[in-house]
Amino acid sequence: MKPERWLDCRVLVTVGTGGVGKTTVAAALGLAAARAGRRVLVMTIDPARRLADALGTGPLGHEPSEVPRERLRAAGVEGAGTLAAMMLDTKRTFDELVLRFAPDPAARERILSNPIYRNLTDALGGSREYSAMEKLRQMHVEGRYDLIVLDTPPASNALDFLDAPRRLSGFLEGQFLKVLLHPAAVVGRASLRIFRSGSELVLRGLERITGLEFLTSISEFLLAFEEMLGGFSERAREVAELLRDPSCGFVLVAGPDLQQAKSAESFWQRLEAEGIHLVGLVLNRVHVWTGGGAPPDEDPAAAERAIAWLAGELAATSPELDAQRSATALVDAARAQAALARRDASVRARLVRALPLDAESVRVVPLFSEDVHELAALARMVEQILGEPARA
Amino acid sequence: MTDLLAQLLGRRLLLVTGKGGTGKTTVAAALGRLAADSGVRTLVVELGHAPVLPELLGAAAAKPGREPDREPAAAGPNLFTLRLVPEEALLEYLELQLRVRALARGIVKNTGFRRFLEAAPGWRELITLGKLWHLATREDARGKPLWPLIVVDAPATGHGLSLLSVPTVILDTVRLGPLRRNTDLVQALLTDAKRTQVLIVTLLEELPVNETLELRERVRSLGLAPGPVVANGVEPPLELPDAERVLAAVARLDGARAPSPLADPVALCSAARHRLVRARMQAGFRDRLERELGAAPLELPWLPKGVDGPDGIAALAAHLRTAFARADRGDGP
Repeated sequence: MKPERWLDCRVLVTVGTGGVGKTTVAAALGLAAARAGRRVLVMTIDPARRLADALGTGPLGHEPSEVPRERLRAAGVEGAGTLAAMMLDTKRTFDELVLRFAPDPAARERILSNPIYRNLTDALGGSREYSAMEKLRQMHVEGRYDLIVLDTPPASNALDFLDAPRRLSGFLEGQFLKVLLHPAAVVGRASLRIFRSGSELVLRGLERITGLEFLTSISEFLLAFEEMLGGFSERAREVAELLRDPSCGFVLVAGPDLQQAKSAESFWQRLEAEGIHLVGLVLNRVHVWTGGGAPPDEDPAAAERAIAWLAGELAATSPELDAQRSATALVDAARAQAALARRDASVRARLVRALPLDAESVRVVPLFSEDVHELAALARMVEQILGEPARA
Repeated sequence: MTDLLAQLLGRRLLLVTGKGGTGKTTVAAALGRLAADSGVRTLVVELGHAPVLPELLGAAAAKPGREPDREPAAAGPNLFTLRLVPEEALLEYLELQLRVRALARGIVKNTGFRRFLEAAPGWRELITLGKLWHLATREDARGKPLWPLIVVDAPATGHGLSLLSVPTVILDTVRLGPLRRNTDLVQALLTDAKRTQVLIVTLLEELPVNETLELRERVRSLGLAPGPVVANGVEPPLELPDAERVLAAVARLDGARAPSPLADPVALCSAARHRLVRARMQAGFRDRLERELGAAPLELPWLPKGVDGPDGIAALAAHLRTAFARADRGDGP
């Protein structure tokens, strides 16, 4: 699918391993959509301060900050397009959920003051991922934006954030919690009785190891959560549906080295298996051969000829320069660039073979000499993503 | 052995972290290699979902009948690797505590308990640190430390900080009981600067450098000692005196007469310009690190072929040794 069409989605999610430039690509996609006249929100999980500086929004917080109009015009946004950015705050997202779903003020207080809740929300199984999904759903439902671009947290395990809602609701709905909270209430069928005795054994074992106080705190914490169970499970299902909706597109971001290509491939397989709608791949920070055409093959004899010619030309035209030394350094630099361009092209070819993508869905962003942290550089990245597909 | 290296290798636990994509794993492996080659019996621990250290360090495959995630694999004299899997460590811990293997196995096989573990906060971090403590304090038959040095390929910034902050949270939350006692021991190890240091790996670019400086402060505020910062992927400078005049002269040449694409003036100028800009940018961030850290970072060169096996790690370890020697002399590269 052509990148122009990616921008027709209601939600775009950038995924990839850490350090490949997901946040920057997310911001560039946001800018591209704003240029196409859409109202766009970019949601990031990282404290992307430099990005905020570049966008001129001031420090990013839990609420969207708009990019000033004159900045947008300078970056090529004419007409009605707008761009806003926000940074996700896990704790506040959870607090909002508690405020929304707690059945009564007492329950709300119980959970907000629980030491485990106060301190461990960040470590709660997949809570960062869960809250990212929750905030996405909330902003989507509010409908203030034509497009939301979500920059996902760098996941140590490919797609933690897809599992997070399911994991949390799977546990909250599970039998173990019921036994943990109301051991006496679980009676009846034989299978349950077996389960129950198993769980009590587990609890006795855990108590010996952790101590009663900790188990009490964690039980209270879980009990408080149980009261909000219905709301949480419902939300988790809605998020799961949203992510699989045809109006939600995933963009895979990868770097050009082999290790990153391999993790991109396994990412892709997971996404496919999950029924996720994949729109394309952005290969970021790719070394390109700037001489036009394909990078030349390694050929020491050709390099010698190039040095000899260049040294001769320089000596003839600029006798004041150290022609031989300059020629050697320059041709070596070009050789090194060609070698990297060949390597990156082979990684790219491997990815195109491995992934079920047509050529125009694969976009190559060259390694810029400097970091992309200015709006102008972001605009340049937009041109790379929207421009002509790279030669195979 | 150089002073700074000797100091570092005198610790018990070195945690290697940093922004994603900076090369933490290869730096941790190279540090392990260097330590082992310096005569220190070293265990390199990884925490990821798929093992990568055995291939990187050339460790032998686990012997049949052995449990690869429990017993370290040898990767040469003095060098061992281990993948620390929280589920496996939990089982081991339960066995140690309950002293009944069947009971421990019964617990971890319980479906409800498994679901509980999937959602329960913090236990992975805690059991990971507990296992590291166990490894760091084990002694051999003669009462000597079984693992004088443990190098951990720790998670990237966000998850890394979650890992290191869990003991603080538990100590704030739990006042009594076995969990409290065990967490006290773990925290005592982590916050003892003589035993534990946190190394941060960075690239000489804006975002990784910012993250490094913030991470260092956060590590300090958790009571841990930040160790040296490793600047990875430092690109070689282009040795081109009078660069601007040379490039201006090259730009005036007629590309049509170039004998090969390698002599194409456009390609030559662009390749050189790229290198010059990158080198200037990297030098700027190196200076900033040096200013803010009060010491130059340890620099590792960018290796164009990448590092994907024992040879690459050995090369990186040699560069690391050079970087330590430079740091001792207090001079730049």
